[in-house]
Amino acid sequence: MKNNIDIMSKIVCFSFFLLVFFSCKHHENEYHSITDKIEAESKNYHGTSISSEAYIGDIKTIEITEGGHTFLIPERKSQIKSYACTECHTKPLSQMQSKNLKKAHWDIKLDHANANTMNCITCHDGTNMDHLTSLTGKSIDFNNSYNMCSQCHNKQFEDWKGGAHGKRIGGWAPPRASMTCVNCHNPHKPHFESRWPARFNTQKVKERE
Amino acid sequence: MSNNNKKWFSLNLGRKEKVSSGSCSCGKTSGGCGTSSNSHHMTDDEFAAAAINASIGEERTKDGFEQVFDVKMDRRTAFKKLTASLLIGAGAVSTSCSVISGDESREKSQIDWEEQFKGNYKLMTDEEKQATVDRLVRSYQLRTGKTLSMSSKNAEEDVLFGYAFNISKCQGYMDCVNACVEENNQDRDSQMQYIRIHEMKDGKGFNFNEADDNYYHEVPAEGHFYMGTQCFHCDNPPCVEVCPVQATWREDDGLVVVDYDWCVGCRYCMAACPYDGRRFNWSKPEVPEAEINHNQHYLGNRMRKKGVMEKCTFCVQRSRAGKNPACVEACPTGARIFGNLLDPNSTIRWVLENKKVFRLKEDLGTEPKFWYFMD
Repeated sequence: MKNNIDIMSKIVCFSFFLLVFFSCKHHENEYHSITDKIEAESKNYHGTSISSEAYIGDIKTIEITEGGHTFLIPERKSQIKSYACTECHTKPLSQMQSKNLKKAHWDIKLDHANANTMNCITCHDGTNMDHLTSLTGKSIDFNNSYNMCSQCHNKQFEDWKGGAHGKRIGGWAPPRASMTCVNCHNPHKPHFESRWPARFNTQKVKERE
Repeated sequence: MSNNNKKWFSLNLGRKEKVSSGSCSCGKTSGGCGTSSNSHHMTDDEFAAAAINASIGEERTKDGFEQVFDVKMDRRTAFKKLTASLLIGAGAVSTSCSVISGDESREKSQIDWEEQFKGNYKLMTDEEKQATVDRLVRSYQLRTGKTLSMSSKNAEEDVLFGYAFNISKCQGYMDCVNACVEENNQDRDSQMQYIRIHEMKDGKGFNFNEADDNYYHEVPAEGHFYMGTQCFHCDNPPCVEVCPVQATWREDDGLVVVDYDWCVGCRYCMAACPYDGRRFNWSKPEVPEAEINHNQHYLGNRMRKKGVMEKCTFCVQRSRAGKNPACVEACPTGARIFGNLLDPNSTIRWVLENKKVFRLKEDLGTEPKFWYFMD
């Protein structure tokens, strides 16, 4: 009788341990949180076969390296209709403002900061129209016009380099191609216009009546 | 019945590769299988009557309680029911095998049969996935005469999709919603939309009770901010837990997907989702033929039917190919950022590591892979 109880208790003990052993295996929730999971699983990240290169399409790009980030941005100069500017701007600006010359982009109104801060020559070089000019008079290429903007919009520049500001071209996968400032913002009028939303759900209105 | 070992039973109705033994699966070498003397060739009415008899039979006069508790299933009734259902099966076979019907309708019913009895997509091997996709493409071709491309691309290794939304950038234009509806072939009749853009008052926080997700006035409105919600592709998704038939699950790349052909339409997942991320097809989704997006994925934007759940899949047909989801591409303000969370050099990772990000209802432990941040 005592032997029986002994065996019984052994079996109970054994099955208890077995239960504990099997029930402690969490396959589903290996990580405490998603951030832990991302951290752990990206440690031996080898890259993927997925590429977004095909989706960049016909857009001509240039590679830039800024603050440790290397990525592609659209080439700008070929997109400016009447580049090079010096083809028309053969004389200094003061001489070109006469009445008998053909007018071009005379209707541009600067709606960017206020008159105390900015006018045309804050960005444009009156003596060499093919380049932009920095606040200290250094020349900036039209292709790298983000260097112009970043003088004031430093925070946006930081975010843009990292990828928090601006928009990707193509897809999410490498190689990274991002729009540059002037692809979304008109430098003469950089804010976004207010407009009507693209859609209105009439069915939702009916449902909620 | 079939030559490869599938997980489900399939009839071989008039497929060309099996002609060696006869023209038809019933084993006859000459004549239609419906023409033999002892076979029971049913008319449509008889067929329907038999079907109803087999499925509910006497219970037509009983109420629900009696049907459940007052079943006298002796051996005779059991056999009766079995015979009746066999008759229906024979009817289906004879219709599809009959010599009168053309090759096309035969193929159609063959496809329908195999589609009807296919397994859960989640459990399929790659070949089986490809086979069901091929069938769906062929079926669409037979029915409409048009071709579409449907993918069954699996999750890639070392990919975990994540999304970030910049609240200070969104202007409430709703271009994303339009792009989503067009990309994902959503029902135009019910104006279903996966994305909702909430207009919220400044200084009140995320107050969904006072937010408006169906505004129509010039945006951005003074004193308001905008934030979008959609399926957050939780890493610990409650919708998946509650599904009684496992028709929804989380893929290895983090996408929470639905097998529309396995879904029974119980809407448990809709109730379980704390973010209102899921949508139900109350009626047959109608998309004008000209507007159908023919670039499809089995788990994504292929045509749904009445009575199944659907939801945002981060545009699986696009994202697995390396494109951004349609909403990300359409956003004119760059408020939407998408990428691979496991790639330490991805832009989404930079956002998570350098911006002050948060998620909705983080305390629920659902681990959504959709972060909000501000400039």
